[in-house]
Amino acid sequence: MRGMFTMKTIRVLLADDHKLIRAGLVLVVQQQPDLQVVGEADDGRQAVEMVNSLKPDVAVMDIGMPNLNGIEAAQQITQSHPQTAVVMLSMHADEGYVLRALKAGARAYLLKDSATSDLVQAIRAVVEGKSFFSPAVSKVLLQDYLRKMRRTGAEDSYDLLSPREREVLQLVAEGKSNKEVANLLNLSVYTVETHRAKIMQKLNLKGVPELILYAVRKGIIS
Amino acid sequence: MSDSHLKREEGLPSTKVRLTLLFSFGGLLALMLVAGLQALDLARQLHAQEEQLRQAFLARTQPLLVLSSTICVYNDRMQEFLLSQDPQAEGLTGQVFSQLSGEINSTLKMFPQARQPEERALIESLQRLFTEQQGMLDPMFSWSPAERHRQARRLLQEKVVPEQARIHETSERIALWDAEQRGETDRQIFASFSSLQARQSSLFALSLAAGFALSLASAFYLLHLEREGQRRYKELARSRSQLEELSARLVDAQESERRSISRELHDEVGQSLGALLVEVGRLSATLPPAEPQIKEHVDKIKTVAETAVQTVRNIALLLRPSMLDDLGLIAALEWQGREVSRRSDLEVEIQSSQVSEKLPDEYQICIYRLVQEALNNAERHSSAKNAKVVVEQTADQILVSVSDDGRGFDSQRIRGLGILGMEERVRRLGGTFAIDSKPGSGTTVRAAFPLLKLTP
Repeated sequence: MRGMFTMKTIRVLLADDHKLIRAGLVLVVQQQPDLQVVGEADDGRQAVEMVNSLKPDVAVMDIGMPNLNGIEAAQQITQSHPQTAVVMLSMHADEGYVLRALKAGARAYLLKDSATSDLVQAIRAVVEGKSFFSPAVSKVLLQDYLRKMRRTGAEDSYDLLSPREREVLQLVAEGKSNKEVANLLNLSVYTVETHRAKIMQKLNLKGVPELILYAVRKGIIS
Repeated sequence: MSDSHLKREEGLPSTKVRLTLLFSFGGLLALMLVAGLQALDLARQLHAQEEQLRQAFLARTQPLLVLSSTICVYNDRMQEFLLSQDPQAEGLTGQVFSQLSGEINSTLKMFPQARQPEERALIESLQRLFTEQQGMLDPMFSWSPAERHRQARRLLQEKVVPEQARIHETSERIALWDAEQRGETDRQIFASFSSLQARQSSLFALSLAAGFALSLASAFYLLHLEREGQRRYKELARSRSQLEELSARLVDAQESERRSISRELHDEVGQSLGALLVEVGRLSATLPPAEPQIKEHVDKIKTVAETAVQTVRNIALLLRPSMLDDLGLIAALEWQGREVSRRSDLEVEIQSSQVSEKLPDEYQICIYRLVQEALNNAERHSSAKNAKVVVEQTADQILVSVSDDGRGFDSQRIRGLGILGMEERVRRLGGTFAIDSKPGSGTTVRAAFPLLKLTP
């Protein structure tokens, strides 16, 4: 008997205080057969409550919301519901916001300008544990980085990494855990940890969010 | 006239007052000068008068004394003549006697008209004495020496000696009269001196009174001016504080207006434009591929909408960066730094130490605007290549500094409105503000704010 091929429905929560924008995004999501909008929120507090009650797979959050802004809401959500992936929406393609969003646990950062075209891609990426950044964001981050290198005459520390370290860097930036990296590269977890520490040191990075940001700048991930 | 009117309004001495003062002081000086000159003149007059009186006195008494003593001498000679054995040998001839009498007569004739009865009486008695003596002597010349010898004792006793006594008496009277005259003269001199002194004293008293009145008036005027000055100063201080308050309120109003406009732009216009973009995106996605012309138009709409969104966003961010509210001061400053670095040749670095993400809004916005202004100036005027912003928070204050390696400027002379505005805002929060800049050696803007209580 031909069984019903049930695709896993990805349950999505949309939070944005701009109703018109939100309506547009809802339509975009609903057009995808495997995506389902399970709730809409007007502000950060409502978003957190809805995540608590609805437990969606993905929460799409605007940064600039009243009552509790998107970043703080994301922080709360990722801490209390680690299985819910957060996609950040913002008007700003600026590393300050991106870094903050990453630190709060978001895995994707989209510009509102291109949200309609990027959203579906972003949702699918974060569900698979990957990260996603609007192309414009990557572009700005890269430009800023290059300009600074050029002006301050600093060396591109990427050249200091060994090939193995570069592999580790990419995988970590993509969101893989140490165990997953070890499996993929046929290394022990211990070796992976050592490589990670080395990478952080050579590139002068303080944490994973900074590492991800660096990777985005360099175009290692998108 | 408008000039003096202005001066009166300002409380400054007008021309009238100035002239009054000039004339009063001038008059006082003139008065004192006149008094001095008059004193000198009167002293001279007094001296002359005294001299005159003395001369008159001498003219009166001297001749009398001379006369009386000459008559006495005559009498003495007469006695000698009577008693001597050989008058010829002793030089007591008729010639000698006639010479003496001649002298006496001429002296008598030379006398000025006697004005006082006393004087006249004295002269008359002298004259009488003399005449008597002459009468006695004349017959003696015709006597023989024996006759003379016989008559001598008798004459001496009866006539000559009494005569001598009378002469002495008269001499004494003359002396007395002389003393009286001298006393009279002294009195006159004293009286004239007294009147001079009185006049002089009154003149000096007048000068003193005038001087006193003038200084009193000046003192009062001075006090008045001082009071005016105080009043003006208080007024000025009050105006200044009113001005400061006004400017502070203007700044507050400006910031809150900016905030509300920014929010409106974001919420109303931004939202509409965003929705527009969304719809255009969907339209573009649902376009039939066989209509390239429509796609062209839709793409154009998309571009215009995107530009509009960018523009509105930039305006809103310029008015009030949402980062200040969302991510805190340092994140906002870092964004500012990156924006400046992106759009100009200036590379901005932000350094911070212990700065709270939840500073009171008025501090945040003040520091933000300060850095914004400083970076704008560096970008526009100084051709700097690098700028560094340092924000440090300690237990009781926040320190901010913005330094660049640009051209620098003479911070003593050039104070633009932007800089004044910065300074005013910093001072209003109780902070200190300083600019170090010299042409050719970059610029550093520094501010320090005391934090009264910290929200951890």
